[in-house]
Amino acid sequence: MYALIALVTSAVVFAFAVWFPNISLIVEIMGHPGISFSQKLDLPISLLGSIATNFTLLSASYTIAIALLFGVNLAMTIYFLRRKISEVRQSGVATGFIGLASGVLGMGCAACGSLLLTSGLSLVGASGILAFLPLAGGEFGILGVILLLASIYLIAKQIQNPAICKI
Amino acid sequence: MEHETKEPGAHAPIQTNNLTIPVAIVIAGALIAGAVYLGTSKGAPTTAGNNQQPQQVAQQTGSLDEMRTISKDDHIRGNPDAPVKIVEYSDPECPFCKRFHDTMKQVMDEYGNDGKVAWVYRNFPLDQLHQKARNESTAIECAGDIGGNDKFWAYADRLYEVTPSNDGLDPAELPKIAQYVGLDVGKFNACLTSGKFTKHIEDDVQNAVATGGNGTPWSIVVAANGKKYPLSGAQPYASVKQLIDLALQEK
Repeated sequence: MYALIALVTSAVVFAFAVWFPNISLIVEIMGHPGISFSQKLDLPISLLGSIATNFTLLSASYTIAIALLFGVNLAMTIYFLRRKISEVRQSGVATGFIGLASGVLGMGCAACGSLLLTSGLSLVGASGILAFLPLAGGEFGILGVILLLASIYLIAKQIQNPAICKI
Repeated sequence: MEHETKEPGAHAPIQTNNLTIPVAIVIAGALIAGAVYLGTSKGAPTTAGNNQQPQQVAQQTGSLDEMRTISKDDHIRGNPDAPVKIVEYSDPECPFCKRFHDTMKQVMDEYGNDGKVAWVYRNFPLDQLHQKARNESTAIECAGDIGGNDKFWAYADRLYEVTPSNDGLDPAELPKIAQYVGLDVGKFNACLTSGKFTKHIEDDVQNAVATGGNGTPWSIVVAANGKKYPLSGAQPYASVKQLIDLALQEK
């Protein structure tokens, strides 16, 4: 069951990341009355292939890593909660979500110009900062992977050490 | 063996800790929601060429309807009266534009010969990321100015073929490409430094931003009835094909 949760979550995060540049197109196609159901499905499915055409090797790598790690992270968190190990420190869970948030910042780096990062930065008039980032925003994706790994480590450590009874 | 049982008094801080997960989820959710909003909002251009004024315009009016009408002044590959037109805003030094250029050539091989699809090229150099891109956009425009539409496309094809992308093309290659496609190199060099296309290229950039372009390649698929579909990035051929087929269905 937890493997399924991890798998489904990873798939959702991955699809979100890949579809992100074309969310508005997908929404429009889905709501278009003149398009058949199969056609509505075809486009989002084919757009998943953009992981090979619209990402660099680096950004594709950390996008897939973030999706997988977040799935594992969420499954472990649910396991955590179901066991009602409420007294353990939950810093690992928080780290995981911060990791996802950081990863999301870097995810927009499809095509030229980080969609999310530069969008956010331009609102505060600081889009020029990208010129000073060697990976043009990919740093956030890498940071996301590191934080998710840290989160998984912390949660696993807490699960192994339930702290209900110390012997 | 000594067993140590948890202290009853530990419950109070536990309740506080329990808030960590929901709070983290709410924060992450807010960040993701903000991400979606910002990423799909009509403003927020990313080009360095955009000063404060165009940014404000884009944030207020950025929509596909802002796309400049396709005219004889555009660079059109294929049938100008094709039922479906793909307007591509492109940066010559963007690696994804280089990739998408090949995808578009494949589109024209399948749909261009029988006049179903026309490809309209517009400039969208991202100065912030690629400092050489604007000069290369000028070079492509100069090729069209000196040699006409065929030379425009021949030059663009060759430039996208030879550039390693990400500012990797030596500017000395530009006249060589001109010579390769059969242009008068003297006229080409004069054009390149003349500033003749400065306004035209900037107009293209601003139009890309006004239509909601946040990065390159940025394409708009226009159906015969005027319906417009946005396509961001170097999407796979299968996706472009599906979008064309949908646009061809529009009456």
